[in-house]
Amino acid sequence: MKKLIKEFLKGIIKENPTFVLALGLCPTLAVSVSVRNGIGMGIAAGFVLLGSNVIIAMIKNIVPERIRIPCYIVVIATFVTIAELMLKAYSPVLNRALGIYVPLIVVNCIILGRAEAYASKNSVINSLFDALGMGLGFTLALILISGIREILGSGKLFGYTIMGGVEPALLFIMPSGALLVIGLLLGLFNLFKKDRA
Amino acid sequence: MNSAQFLAILISNVFIYIVILSRFLGLCPFIAISKETKPALAMSFAVTFVITASSIITWVIYRFMLAPLGMTYLRTVYFILVIAAFVQLVEMVIKKISPATYRFFGIYLPLITTNCAVLGVAVLNIDMFFVNDKAVPGSFSYSVFQGISVGLGYTLAMLLMSAIRERLDFCNVPKCLKDFPLAFIIASIMSLSFMGFNGFRF
Amino acid sequence: MKDKLKVSAAPHLHKKGESVSKIMWMVVLSLIPAGAAGVFIFGLNALRVIILGVVSAVVTEALLQLFTKNKITILDGSAVITGLLLAYNLPADVPFWLPIIGSFFSIAIAKQVFGGLGQNIFNPALAGRVFLMASWPKYMTTFSAPFSYDAVTSATPLALLKEGKILEHISYWNLFLGKRGGCIGEVCILALLAGAAFLLLKGYISWHIPGSYILTVGLFTYIFGPRGFFSGDWLFHVLSGGLILGAFFMATDYVTSPLTRRGHIVFGLGCGLLTAVIRLWGGYPEGVSYAILMMNAATPLIDRYTKTRIYGTKFSNP
Repeated sequence: MKKLIKEFLKGIIKENPTFVLALGLCPTLAVSVSVRNGIGMGIAAGFVLLGSNVIIAMIKNIVPERIRIPCYIVVIATFVTIAELMLKAYSPVLNRALGIYVPLIVVNCIILGRAEAYASKNSVINSLFDALGMGLGFTLALILISGIREILGSGKLFGYTIMGGVEPALLFIMPSGALLVIGLLLGLFNLFKKDRA
Repeated sequence: MNSAQFLAILISNVFIYIVILSRFLGLCPFIAISKETKPALAMSFAVTFVITASSIITWVIYRFMLAPLGMTYLRTVYFILVIAAFVQLVEMVIKKISPATYRFFGIYLPLITTNCAVLGVAVLNIDMFFVNDKAVPGSFSYSVFQGISVGLGYTLAMLLMSAIRERLDFCNVPKCLKDFPLAFIIASIMSLSFMGFNGFRF
Repeated sequence: MKDKLKVSAAPHLHKKGESVSKIMWMVVLSLIPAGAAGVFIFGLNALRVIILGVVSAVVTEALLQLFTKNKITILDGSAVITGLLLAYNLPADVPFWLPIIGSFFSIAIAKQVFGGLGQNIFNPALAGRVFLMASWPKYMTTFSAPFSYDAVTSATPLALLKEGKILEHISYWNLFLGKRGGCIGEVCILALLAGAAFLLLKGYISWHIPGSYILTVGLFTYIFGPRGFFSGDWLFHVLSGGLILGAFFMATDYVTSPLTRRGHIVFGLGCGLLTAVIRLWGGYPEGVSYAILMMNAATPLIDRYTKTRIYGTKFSNP
């Protein structure tokens, strides 16, 4: 049990997919304009990660080595399609806001990366907890980045104005601002890591 | 089909909306492989080739298979499968022809499949050049041309970035910002400067 | 002997009695006439922007160097130049926090992050300006009218041109003297040329970048005129906007421009081409800062392909 909790926790800080492994940055940067979008993307990607990690851990012994990547991708793509259809049905607004980045979850490096690096080598239960931790870590990272960007770029949080009177810097809701925020956050994480080591 | 359309696609994809800097597609290999120019160039040629080819393939699949059968909701599965198979093919060819290049790419070659730019362009083509699952006139050539131009934009960004990062080897960058963080900050300023082309029209 | 052979990043010096800081202060000196003219034309608000820009650039540099435990080098004048150039690129009536935030961005993000003087890829002042332009476009494009000394706003000549308005009331002579709307330091061409002539005569900058830059803009805007080929008003394009300021004082920055003469000319050509393209077809009326930043990004590449040949060897593949 202790090991399982460790598997779960490592995804949140020590091997945070975004800040430490630097995986899955494309959707992170693209949808983090507002916290609401960030959480939506985090949950959608977490769902796909969970489903695919479990299935891949189950089928890892049947799949021939050479064609494993296409096989994994089909599994992932199936879950993405499920997520896409559910989003369309239950939250069309969010679906429109996330745009092409919903089908692009399929190529989110976190998911294939975890499939290749973890689920294809570990048991189903371990993979489940790995996926939960990674999904949560990804969502937290998204909340952090989108929070910073929403506050600085539009003076709001969750759509509520919190900085009245201050002119928000439009840059931060532009692509260039996303790159800047992630660069500085990665630097901060490095600084933090060095201090602890 | 007219040449102004083509010019618009070319300019907007190569200069204004460079996929990496404005849509963040293909960011991972952009940051990871842009430390030196040579592999960066090889990578971007590979990406250009894959994007162009997959634009053709996915268009054909969508137009002649998914749309008539009403299975368009399955496009993600079909597209990624085709792209994955195609990349595997490219991988095998490179392994045969140039083992040195192959060794250099390491983990990133299989990851071309998960280069969001490839699937992203395929999906974008469908979103832009199909109206209610019907191909607009000239849709095929637009799609292919968009694939090529996105690849060119990718190559341009990759080339600039790798040259800059080679130069940074000689600089005493603060330790915590070395490599990835600085690469993002450079990309940010590059994206800022390319904003100069915003609102471009003839 | 060993002490004399140091491998370091640009700027490299080989003249006797020169030092980085001396050159920097000379550049500051050469920029003073343009600033004085700006204050004369736009009033004391312009002076306030300049002072805020310079002071906050210097303070940011000092604080960051203190924080990272590096040697404090604010006396070398490079931070002063950055703050000065940034302020010159702002309208006179911006709110007080705009130059402060801009200077902070210039020094912190565009300079110190790369390791300080001599190592930055992008011109810090221009990066700061473009950052402000993206963040608060409203303030960055509201210009005060010359000699009004209060909040009478006017558009820049280039913005008027973009809107398709006729420009007959602005004579070349007024453009040359700076009687027009615009940023603080860019309007008075006469003062800018005086400063530039000083730098050229003292040999601190060469004619290659400004020459090829201005020539390209002139030629290009002449060829692609509004009434068909070869009908453009090239003199207007050369005299308006930030071209003269950019070409002589910002494109020539030692650190962010190529090393060789051949590289200089390629750099100037690229800047000119991009500036003209943005002015003629882009969404913004002015393209100087974007053009120079883009060519900054291309500088390492230009350097690689314009490397001077080692004497007695053949060209090697770069």
